[in-house]
Amino acid sequence: MELTEILERVQDVFRDVLENEDIVLSPQTTANDVEDWDSLNHIQLVVAVEKEFKIRFTSHEIQSWKNVGEMVDCIAKKA
Amino acid sequence: MILKLHDKFEETFTVSEQIYEGFIAMFRDKNPLHTDQQFAIDHGFQGRVMHGNILNGFLSYFIGECLPGKNVIIHTQSIQFKNPVYLNDRLFFEGTVVNVFESVNAVEFKFRFKNEALKEVAKGKIQIGILA
Repeated sequence: MELTEILERVQDVFRDVLENEDIVLSPQTTANDVEDWDSLNHIQLVVAVEKEFKIRFTSHEIQSWKNVGEMVDCIAKKA
Repeated sequence: MILKLHDKFEETFTVSEQIYEGFIAMFRDKNPLHTDQQFAIDHGFQGRVMHGNILNGFLSYFIGECLPGKNVIIHTQSIQFKNPVYLNDRLFFEGTVVNVFESVNAVEFKFRFKNEALKEVAKGKIQIGILA
């Protein structure tokens, strides 16, 4: 799957979970750049991404991500 | 993780007079559908319909008291009410683990309540977190 396609689907997940259609993600986006991306919503985002791509992350993987791009790379390896 | 995929839990609950009266005393929902027998019958029910959110109280008990560990917290829950529940109905609850998210220590259950006629009265999903 292309990274751009993954990024688009991740963006859709973020818009749905955070109920904000204005969210635009790039590989460089971090939690500081997205309103409401707090620790509780982070759980919901990870759960929703795992469901969307029918994959499972490890806690080590999600703790290692520095930005959305690293999440997308991780998805690309699993999906 | 204290829970694994397909783990199933069953409980039985009764919507007793004490629970019904307590719910009204606490939350003050005295809508006639819940409190006026004739009103409820006039609208096609067999009698006073119990508040659907009493079932959410049973869900709270299930998550808080019936799982193998106490280190749990509810993240989200959704419920659909399918059929009315009446006073003193005995309800059979079944909760099954349908998703485990090890990465964020979260578990999702599907659940359903059936009445004594084995008719489904409510169903839904709950996602809980396992506290460190």
